[in-house]
Amino acid sequence: MIIIEDVHKRYLTEHGPGKWVLQGVSLTIPPRTNVALVGPNGAGKSTMLRIIGGVDQPTRGRVERQCRVSWPLGFGGGLQGSLSGRQNAKFICRIHGHVEDIPERIDAIRGFAEIGDAFDEPVKTYSTGMQARLKFAISLAFDFDVYLADELTSVGDAAFKRKAQKAFRDLVDRAGVILVSHQEGIIQEVCSAGIWLHKGSAYWFDDVKDALSHYRKSLTI
Amino acid sequence: MVNRPSAHVALSVWKALILREALFRLFGSRAAWLWLLLEPVVHIVFLMFIFTVVRMRVVGGIDTPVWLMLGLLAFFMFRRAGTQSMQAVVANQALFAYRQVKPVDTVLSRAALEGFLMLLVVIVLFAGAWLSGLAIIPTDPLAVLQAFFGMWLVGLGFGLMASVTTVLLPEVSRTIVLVMTPLYFLSGVIFPIARVPLPYREWLMLNPLAHGLEAARLGFAPYYQAVPELSMPYLYGFALVSVFFGLALHVRFAVRLASR
Repeated sequence: MIIIEDVHKRYLTEHGPGKWVLQGVSLTIPPRTNVALVGPNGAGKSTMLRIIGGVDQPTRGRVERQCRVSWPLGFGGGLQGSLSGRQNAKFICRIHGHVEDIPERIDAIRGFAEIGDAFDEPVKTYSTGMQARLKFAISLAFDFDVYLADELTSVGDAAFKRKAQKAFRDLVDRAGVILVSHQEGIIQEVCSAGIWLHKGSAYWFDDVKDALSHYRKSLTI
Repeated sequence: MVNRPSAHVALSVWKALILREALFRLFGSRAAWLWLLLEPVVHIVFLMFIFTVVRMRVVGGIDTPVWLMLGLLAFFMFRRAGTQSMQAVVANQALFAYRQVKPVDTVLSRAALEGFLMLLVVIVLFAGAWLSGLAIIPTDPLAVLQAFFGMWLVGLGFGLMASVTTVLLPEVSRTIVLVMTPLYFLSGVIFPIARVPLPYREWLMLNPLAHGLEAARLGFAPYYQAVPELSMPYLYGFALVSVFFGLALHVRFAVRLASR
């Protein structure tokens, strides 16, 4: 269960505090629920995801995570360019407290990413697609109760995309997911509930179709 | 699944960070590990050459090469720990994508790694000096260690504070880099502070690094004519206050350091 209490967020800009991105968001996300975050560009979806993931702190309010929550997957950064894919993967295993079974996890990551010998080359030599493959493979190597996914399945070439989507569906069956996406197909297929972000506020819908219809209506006005 | 206790998370993060930083520091660029060793060697050789030219064989009762080595290595202990940990937050910005990693973790692990590497450098150079026939066995090894640890602690305090200003006030960090060169001279690396006449000597001894350098030399040879104002409590007091202040800055600005 994730409890979000009265979260406000604004960013500091060069000219002092910017405008409020989130204003008084209070939600309780029940365990093993797949939730879609919908809203137009700039509505604060990624900010929301980062705050839930604990990567960014709310200006006011608090977030309580009563389960293991992943970092925001598909999120830019998180890999060090000068280190190889293997070294990056090891680092992430270590900070998550998995030390004994590093070899098995590394094998799994290497197998899923399918980037061949480049796994031992520095990440800065990778193409965008290869980086995305590696990130996706790393995120699959851990068992979280809730995964935070930001446009996750739209990476790589056609073959990898199919594989990624299949892996993602398996993952959704065994854990909860909070998904940010603009692809309504995958949202409707995966998610049961929805959160619609509108003008700094968040509205919870038990049925994701209601969230989507509100979102669509707000666009046409 | 149960959440891990905070101490457990911090420990695993430190371990992961130190291993990763070590890789980068030793093999990040071509022969990076060699430069780690060569930098102090080049300084020592150059200064020994100068001292040979001015025919100064003994400083304050101990051999010039030993006097120079101790001063330089103690100063490098501070400078490397300080400058490396100062850049830690900026260099590891990408890692704050994982909530387990806090900015202060990157500073602490860089300082720890740098202290450890510097210890290895000291051992290797001392072994080399011993093989080439210098009288390099310290009389009071614990006092030497205490002095080096004090220098490292000042470096850590400096790094903790400077890593915050580097992010929040980038202009300040440029000034800090400028200060490093005069510090090299003012700390008594290349001239004996004990020979400086009185009102000025007291001013020079306001610098805690000068205390660390002199203490390292005194621990080496009890007959060394050290500065009379030498005080270890001053060095450690300064170090602990700056570490405390640095940690306080990290607590205060934790959010702003991690988010961009």
